[in-house]
Order: sequence, then structure tokens, then C-alpha cells
Amino acid sequence: MIAETKKTPAARYGMSIDVDRCNGCGSCMVACAVENNVPPAASGATDRTGLTWIRVFRIDNGAEGSGRRSAFVPVLCQHCGKDAPCVSVCPQQAVDVDPATGIVGQMPERCLGCRYCMAACPYHARYFNWWDPTWPAGMEKTLNPDVAPRMRGVVEKCNFCHGRWHAAKAKAVANGKNEIDPADYIPACVEACPSGAIHFGKLNDPATETAQGARHPDSFRMLESLGTDPKIYYHSKKNWVREISSAPRPGLAKENARG
Amino acid sequence: MVREMAKEMDKEFITRGVRRCSSPRFLLWLAPWVAMLLFGAYSAGLCLVKGLNQTNMDNRYAFGLWIFVDLTIIALGAGAFFTGFLLYILKFKELRAVINSAVVIGLVCYSGAMAALMVDVGQPLRAWFTFWYPNVHSMLTEVTFCISCYLCVLFIEYLPIVLKNRKLRDIPSFLVFEFELHKLIYVLAGVGTFLSFFHQGSLGGLYGVLRGRPFAFREGIFVWPSTFFLFIISAAAVGPSFLIFTTWLVEKITGKRLAKDRVFDLLARISGILLSVYVLAKTIDTLIWINRTSPALGFTASQYYDWKPFGTWILFAEIVLCGLVPALILLTPRLRAQRAWLIPAAALACCGVALNRYVQTVQTLALPTLSFDKFLSYTPSWQEVGTFLGVLAYGVLVYSFSFRYFRIFPEERELKTEVRLQQEEEPVLAGRF
Amino acid sequence: MTNSRRDIFKFAGGAVAGALFTPAPWRLITDTALWSENWPGIPRPARGEIRAKFTNCALCPAGCAVRARCVGEQPVSLAGVHGGLCPFGLTGHHLPYHPARLKQGPIEEAKAAVRKRAPDGIAILDLNPGRTVSWTYRRAMASLQGLYLAPESQPVAYDLSAAKTVLSIGAPLLDGWGTPANVNAARQNFRLIQAEAVESRTAVLADEWIPLAPGTERAFAQEILGALQGERTSVVARELTADGSSFVLGDAPEIPEINRLLGAYGKIIVAPSEAPVPEPWKKSAAAITRLADVPDHSIGVLLIDESNAASYIPWHFIEPKLTGDNPLVVTFAATRGGYARHAQYALPIAVYPELTDDIAPAVDSIHPTFRISVPLVAPVVTPPAGLANPADFVGALAGVPVSNALRERADAIHQSAEGAIVTYADGKETPVKDLTADAFWKSLNQGARWDRPPGLSSLVPAASRSTLRPAEPIESSADLPLIAIREPHNPALVSPLMTKLYQESGLRLAPNRVALNPDDARAAHVPNGARAVLQTRIGRCSVEVTVDPAVPPGAVQVGGSPGIQDVCGPAARVKVVPA
Repeated sequence: MIAETKKTPAARYGMSIDVDRCNGCGSCMVACAVENNVPPAASGATDRTGLTWIRVFRIDNGAEGSGRRSAFVPVLCQHCGKDAPCVSVCPQQAVDVDPATGIVGQMPERCLGCRYCMAACPYHARYFNWWDPTWPAGMEKTLNPDVAPRMRGVVEKCNFCHGRWHAAKAKAVANGKNEIDPADYIPACVEACPSGAIHFGKLNDPATETAQGARHPDSFRMLESLGTDPKIYYHSKKNWVREISSAPRPGLAKENARG
Repeated sequence: MVREMAKEMDKEFITRGVRRCSSPRFLLWLAPWVAMLLFGAYSAGLCLVKGLNQTNMDNRYAFGLWIFVDLTIIALGAGAFFTGFLLYILKFKELRAVINSAVVIGLVCYSGAMAALMVDVGQPLRAWFTFWYPNVHSMLTEVTFCISCYLCVLFIEYLPIVLKNRKLRDIPSFLVFEFELHKLIYVLAGVGTFLSFFHQGSLGGLYGVLRGRPFAFREGIFVWPSTFFLFIISAAAVGPSFLIFTTWLVEKITGKRLAKDRVFDLLARISGILLSVYVLAKTIDTLIWINRTSPALGFTASQYYDWKPFGTWILFAEIVLCGLVPALILLTPRLRAQRAWLIPAAALACCGVALNRYVQTVQTLALPTLSFDKFLSYTPSWQEVGTFLGVLAYGVLVYSFSFRYFRIFPEERELKTEVRLQQEEEPVLAGRF
Repeated sequence: MTNSRRDIFKFAGGAVAGALFTPAPWRLITDTALWSENWPGIPRPARGEIRAKFTNCALCPAGCAVRARCVGEQPVSLAGVHGGLCPFGLTGHHLPYHPARLKQGPIEEAKAAVRKRAPDGIAILDLNPGRTVSWTYRRAMASLQGLYLAPESQPVAYDLSAAKTVLSIGAPLLDGWGTPANVNAARQNFRLIQAEAVESRTAVLADEWIPLAPGTERAFAQEILGALQGERTSVVARELTADGSSFVLGDAPEIPEINRLLGAYGKIIVAPSEAPVPEPWKKSAAAITRLADVPDHSIGVLLIDESNAASYIPWHFIEPKLTGDNPLVVTFAATRGGYARHAQYALPIAVYPELTDDIAPAVDSIHPTFRISVPLVAPVVTPPAGLANPADFVGALAGVPVSNALRERADAIHQSAEGAIVTYADGKETPVKDLTADAFWKSLNQGARWDRPPGLSSLVPAASRSTLRPAEPIESSADLPLIAIREPHNPALVSPLMTKLYQESGLRLAPNRVALNPDDARAAHVPNGARAVLQTRIGRCSVEVTVDPAVPPGAVQVGGSPGIQDVCGPAARVKVVPA
């Protein structure tokens, strides 16, 4: 799908997200939709049928009353390692892990819409186009020309703003360089976060903030026990936040408060 | 005048020696099913034209009623391949009485499932991508290939049944073609068994390979998780049961005897044995899953059953109530000889398989994976139910046509004579007193 | 030779079989892939040269510096120059195309009506005070002997960088308060204690959240005041006095006195500053009148400028000021949802980023600053009569020349020869005295900001007298069991993409929604997502319900729509019933 660049060493792009700095403003969610031509919701859409490639969840420490404390966690495609659960299940090879960047890419033009990958993903990071995308009259002028809009009936998800990677690569090549300049390749959510909670960079370059954040003892990944080897590292000083890395709390039958 | 001609023509197509109801009555029988089919077509049309937002599926419930129903009817339609295997390869001659019915049921189940699947995918025009860009690692690729090929096999197996029709036999080339085809029947049965083995298994493998869903994930042999083999065994076990159930149902509706008791007895015995094997295998698999597989992924098995309404009762219902109980009934000769025990047991076995498919599809998706996930519920929309009803109506219509015009039950004529002989004897005996 | 039916069938069958050996059917099949990629109404994004344009965001007084990525002339995405933008700022470029945007109105008719009725007592309500156009309104009102009205606001500015401890009683300090880039930059230097009933976005990131029972914010403030006055002890008060650089933010009338006792005035709380204003304006401008000080039934004609309003004043407070017989209300608005519901004339205006307007200073702006929001696109809406320009409308009414106001203001700043201008395109800072007036004006119009560093003598503002609202009748808790908690103010017109936050996730409370605790929702028989009615002693409003366990029992979080604020603003207690 993407030609491997033999001259440059492969990058492993990932993120380090500081949960203690996220205030749930939603700028990342909106910036992602602007960059990737995600349409506004159809009138019947809910939070279960929406298209939110990155979605900020509100979590809490499980206490009741005045002891209850919350935090906000942005969840996006975790860009799992080479054995990503969604890659092997797609019948049409519409999903792959790019060896040059580590990005798990999705080809909406190949997608049949069988939704098997959505069943496979434990992070619920994949979204289906339940409706035809529509924009209010005139608003199509504001679409990003670098990203193709998707049709109804296909799955889409975060791809670390792959269009921006391509633009950065083209710029590097035009300047006669092999490696892209990190300042040229910043995903929309990272750029938009007002509190700078999201760091993006090469995990396999120890000098990057992202790699350092990932190595910090307070860093964790979600559902590590599943062996998905995700590239999104979360960081928090609070113990109860770090607990979200593991499975749903056993024995706690939570009432379905929100439908 | 035209109506008279139509009735005459209709009679000419009906198999010699058996009685079928009059044409107007047949049309009356068809009417509600046709209405249901039209409603189903309308529901499916809505989904195709307006998009899948017409359903109640969502990003958490990526699979809903249709996938559950597809898996169930494919498992129930397994009677087609298994009966063929038993008859043509293992030479259980008694099953000749029901093989045609099994083939029709199989055809109806598989073609109906394919039709529902075409509505279920977001981009039906791209259905051929799986054949052109197949992903050899995906269970769904395997399922697509095998089911498509097996559907072709089923059509070819159905063709002789059609061609043996009283009127069509008059065409010499059809007769010759049918005769030649019959020589291939063993090949077809073998190919059908081979294909079915794999696709029934891959349907199970669909969920067993999901490492991201510890509720469904199973260890196995090489690339095949244990659910691969469990699905095959359960499909083989329930195929004969479904055949028992449908044959009895058709007998009841038409008021005729269609198969001898020893056929029912054989099917019940086979089903019972396989069901016992399945229950044993499933129990071992569940124990391994509870004690090793799930904890290794960081999920304790008990937590799955903390989410209401899916308590441990569902596990009990699947393995014991709808697995062990019907197995024991079917294995007991005295019980299986009585229809009052046999039919409910067969029905329970079918329910057990349906429950198993439901657990694999719906419960897997209902259960949270992320620690801050909520447990969500799902009810199908009327469009989804309508499409399913359309498939059901299609099945009943095809079966009704086949039953009326083709020799689905070869033993019917023989059994009719038996009954008449019995009835003729009665007055003589009564006259003694 | 007789052609029998059989021959025809044979020919047809052979043709089908033969066609399979030609490319035709296979080509048709592959073409389906193309059909599935092109559907009716597929949008064709603009093509053109990619360039950057710069401006300042006019949606709120933070006035964040914006870099617009444009394809040709059309902005396709916005980003902050000094850090991230809020969700509203990120999607500002969608606003001109909003389907609910007010697109036409009888401008000439309104002009004639106002002209006729002006002698009955004219007033203008400026909901975004502090801009250059605010001076225009004041000059016009002076000429017409009318009133210039502005929302209640404390005449102070806050220097967050001078604070070591901040107690915020319900103020959204980390959620759009002041200038977010500055707040984020100063965050590491102060300890934030957030005291409020709901764990808001600010409370989540605060160093400490004190959960108050709903409706007890004033009691809490009184407790602290009492502690500072020596009447009782309070842990929080002790903490505030410990390090000497602390202040309190909030609505309660006790707070100015608390801040005075903490010695915050002159240190953290300073006089607000304004960029230089042409002297003739200052002489000919009407005073700023508070709405509360206007006698009842004295306004015959009320003009309301709702563009980029910094707040919404519930109609309940405005209506008594209008005359009894046929008052005329003309509103300049971008949507029908605000005062257009109460006005006789609602006139369409340009929206950000179509308009040219300067931006009022933010509440944490401690030195004079001047920023112009320059248009990124030409006005999208051109109804036959055009868009209304409130400044021109009012200026024509009063016979005051106003079309050059921004340039005159810029010249006044340039004349002061103080401060420097930072242009976003190259990031260069140039002292004003090194530029000609024309060059200064040109830079301002290319996306820039002018700042004058604070002088040594910042006037110490007098501790403002308490702005107590007139005593509200005591509301019985029996039939109005819940206490309303309001969301921070949001822009009136928001991009259609905000469904990501309102509808496709529950991250923010949509303007027309209310959030209830599960127990309260059950008691009121309103399930999640249901339509309901919000009832207060003022009136009723149709809403949608969100059930949220994070809302404390006995409270309801209400969205910011003008309809809800009309019934909820003046009244604290509400009831929610099924629709």
C-alpha cells in the first residue's frame, strides 16, 4: 500500500498523552474533524452512531458523592503493533500497518463495510458511516483538499493525519532531505490541544518528548494484557487513572445509567 | 376457462401418486408468505437505499440481528451437507427419505443468509473485493469463499430435484442431464462436506480469533481456535435435529406422513451422539477458557457474568438445558420413539445452537472491554426484523413450491399406501362384532 | 430451416457463456468499484494554491491569534499561533455557511421605524463592550440623547502571573476564562482551588476541588469573608492568607471585599486598560449606563448589538425597562435564537471571519492592547438589501461619521508612539515609532496585535461597590426542587461540527439540553435523551435531557441557549417535567 523507503530507517510514530492536563475541552475532537473532512452528525445520530475519530471520555474514580473525582481521557486508534487485531481480520486487506511509520492505515475505498474490524477492535476506535455524509450548503468549500471524504457504508478511523505525513515527506524530498522535519508533521489534534496534553513523535527516537513520556514510570497503555502493543501511551500521577489500563473492574456490576 | 386450464396444468406438475391440496388453497397458503416477502423486500430496500442507519446497529453493536440470524440458519442448514455425507459417503440408506428435503432447506438457508448479508454490508457493490483482494489471514475470507462455493454446490444438488419433476422429465435432454449429474452425486457430497467443514468452522473461527474480545477469544490448534471445531460439531449435531423438526412440521401442516419412523430414529440417534460429543467438548473448552485463556488476557471470566442480564444462567442454558438435556433425550430409545419427547428435544437442540450463536455475536459485543466502557443494549429495528421475516418467507415459499411440485419425500407415496391399507382393513375388523 | 424455441435458448445460453470470455462483464464488475466511490452529492473540495492568512479570532475577548490555512482565498482550517484554539475558534471558518444563520431582514424599514420613534427614548445595548464600535455607539447615543447600555461587569483586570493561590468560586478559569494561552502559560505558577457544585472542566484540572452543595456559593463566600474579618476560622481562608499573593474569583457580592482584605488590589487586581482613543471621541461620548440603573418603562426604542456577544442578558431584566406601549426593539444578530425572539426587527450581520472589527480586551489583559479581526472571506450572504452594519446604521441615525472609526483609532494609537506591534506572519515585533501610520494600519490588517507594556504606575482601582441584584422573592423548594447550574457562556452561532461535542459524544452540554443526576431524572420521569420542559417561576422552556451521574443530586446543569437563560437566568430554582 505504501512504498517502503529503503533509505530512511523506519519510524515508529506514537503519542504520549498527559491525562492530568486534559480538561475535556474537545478541541482535539473538532480539529480532527476539520482536518479529515469528517461530516457533521446526521439528525438521527447519537454518541453510539457518530464519527469521532478521537473521542474524549470522562472517567471517574468510582467513588460516590463528594469523594467522586473525574478525569478526561482522549481515546483514538491506538495504532497497535504489527499484530493489530483489525489487520488480520479484514477480508479485503483494507487495513495494514505501514512499515515505514507504524501507522495502522485504513483504505475506505477498499472497505466493504462488513464491520468485522469494528468487532475486533477492543478500543472501539473504529467508526462506521451509518449515513451518507452531508455538509450544509456552501460548507463543502471549507473541506481539506488533501483528504478524501468517505462514502456511506465504510469504516474509518484515525490515521495520525497521514495526509500531513505525505505533505511533510513531499516537502523533505523537495528539499533534498531523507527524513521529514518533525515540525512539519504534527497531527491536527496535537496542534489543537490548548493545554499541550498530547505529544506526538517517534517512539523509537529516545530523544523525543514522546519517547521520554512513554518511558516514564507513570505511563501506561490501555489493555496491555491483550498483547496489542499499542503506540498510544497515557500518563497520569493519579493511581486510579492508571487503573484504566486494565480490564473492566471485576465484580462491579455497573448500572447502565446512560443508554 | 383459463382458470380451469391453469388448474389442469398445475395438476400435471404434481408428482404422480401423491395428493396435494387444490390450487386455490395453495394460493391461499402462499398469500401471507408473499405479503411477508414483500414487506421484507421493502425493509431491505429501505436499508439499501437510505443506508444502514435504518437499523439499530451502532459502533458498539457492529453486528446485530442479521449476523446472529445468518449464523443460526447456516448452522441449521448444515443438515444438507451432513445428511449428504451420511447418505452418500457413509451409506446410511435410510436417509434417502429426507435428503431432498435437507437439500432444499440447505439451499434456502444459505441463499437467504447470503441475501441478508448483502443488505448487511455497507457497500454491496464491493462484494467481489473479497474474491479479488483476499486476505488469507482472515476467517471472513475463508467464510466468503467457502459459502459461495457451497451455495453453487447446493444449486447443483437442487437441480436434479427440479429436473425430476413429472413434466420436466418429459424433456429428454433434461432427463439425460439429470442422470449424468446423479453420477456426480458422490463427488458433490464430498465437496459439500469438505466446504461445509471449513466454513462452519470458520464461522466459529470468526469470533475465536478476536484477541481484542477476551469473551470470545479461544486458544486452539495451529491457526484454528477451539470455536472452529465446536461450531462444526454443533452444526453437524443440530442439522439432523432441524431435519427432524422440519419434517415433523411439514407432516403436521400437510396432514401426511412423509418419512418412516426409523428415519426419525436414525436422525435422532446421530444428533444425540454428536450433541453429547459437543457438550463434552464445549464443557472442556469452557473450563479451559475460564481458567487459562481469559485470565491470561487480563480478564477474569466471572466479570463477564456480572453484567446484567447476562448472568451465568446463559452458560447453563446453553450447555445443560439446550445441550445436555436434548442429547440425553435423543440418546434414550424409549423417549425418542415418542414424538412428544422427540420433537421438543430436537427443538431444544436447535435453540441451543441459536443461543450459542447469539452468545458469540451479541453478548461478545455487549460486554465492555475498556474499563470505562458502559454496558450497552441493543434491540433490532423493524427494518431489521422485516428483512429477517422476508428471508423466512422466501424460505417457506421455496420449500412450499418444492414440496408441491417435486418429490421431496420419496417415502411419501409408500407411506400413503400403508395408511390407506390400514384404513381399508378397519371396516373388516369392525364387522366382526 | 425452422427456428424453434430451443434454438433461441441455445443461442442465448451460448452468448452468455461466450461473453464471459470477453472483458465486458469483468470491466462492468470493476466499474462498480468506481460507482461506489462516487455518489450523488459527493463534495468536491476547492483546489488552488495553499497559503496562510492571519487574523485574530473575534468570537470572544480572548482574541486568540489565528493562522488560517487557505486554498486560494478560502480558509479550510484554523490553528492558533500561540497555542491551541478552543473548539469554537477552530471551526470559525464554518460560520458563514451555517444553515441557521440569519440571512435577511428589513433593514430600510427598520431604519425608518427607528428614526420615527427615536424621540421616545432610544438606547443601545452593546453585548460586546470595549470595542472601537462601542465608542461609536456612545458617540451616537450622545448625539441622540440616548443611553449606551452595557452588561454588568467589574471594572477590573486580573494579573494572573502575579498570583500564587487562586480561589475560584464557580468561575471557569481553565475553560475559556480570560486569554487561555496566557492562563496556560501562567498555570504552573499558581495553586488553583475550585469551589463549585459540579466538577467542571476547570475543577478536574484544579489542584483542589471543593464540592459545594448546589446553591451555597454565596454562603461559602460569606464564610471566607467572616474568617478574614476574624469572626470564624476557615481552612481555605487560612490558605489564602498564607502566601500573600492570592485572590478570589467569582460572582458573589462578598468577593470584592474579600479581595480587598487579601490585599489583591493593586497587586493582582488592577485597573483595566484600553488602547488610546481619539480625544474627540472621549469628549463626545455618552456615559456607560448599567441596565440596572435605567428607570423602568423609560426606553422607547432599544437597539441590541448581539454580534460576538460576550454574555446574554435574560429578557426578564430588559423587558421592564421598555415603555409600556409598543416599544420598538431592533436587534443585530447572526441567529434567530437570541433577542430576535423578542424583537420587532432582526437584522442580519456579518459573522466572524467575514467581518472587520476590533476585539475587546480580555479580563486578564493588564496592559493596553489592540487587535483587529480581519476578514478571511468576503461576506457569503448577500441578500438584496445586503447585510446590516450596526455601526453604519447607528451612525447614520445620529449623523455621526463612523465608517473610518477603526482607522481613526489605529491612528490615535500610532500617534501615542508607544508600544510595539507583533505581526503573526513573520513573528516580528516592531516598535510603533519605527512605522508610519499607513504601515501600522497595513500591519494591523494582516493579522497582528499591538501591545503597550505595563507602566510602573497601574492605577489601583477602588474596590467596586457590591453589585447586589435587587432581592429576589424566595422561591419555594417544594414545587421547584432543583437548583440550576449554568454553563460558561458560549458563542451564539457555532459550527455544525460541534455535533462532535454535543451529539456524537456527551463531552459538552448542548445549548438546548439540561443534565440531571440519575435519581432526579427518575423522580422526574425523564429518561436520557427525552424531551422535557424546564420550569421556573419566570416561565417554561422546551429542553432535552441528559442523564449524568456527575451532576450532584438536587441540581440540574442547564445549557446556554438564550431560551433557557431567559427562564433560568434570573431564577435559581427549577423543575423538570416530561414534555
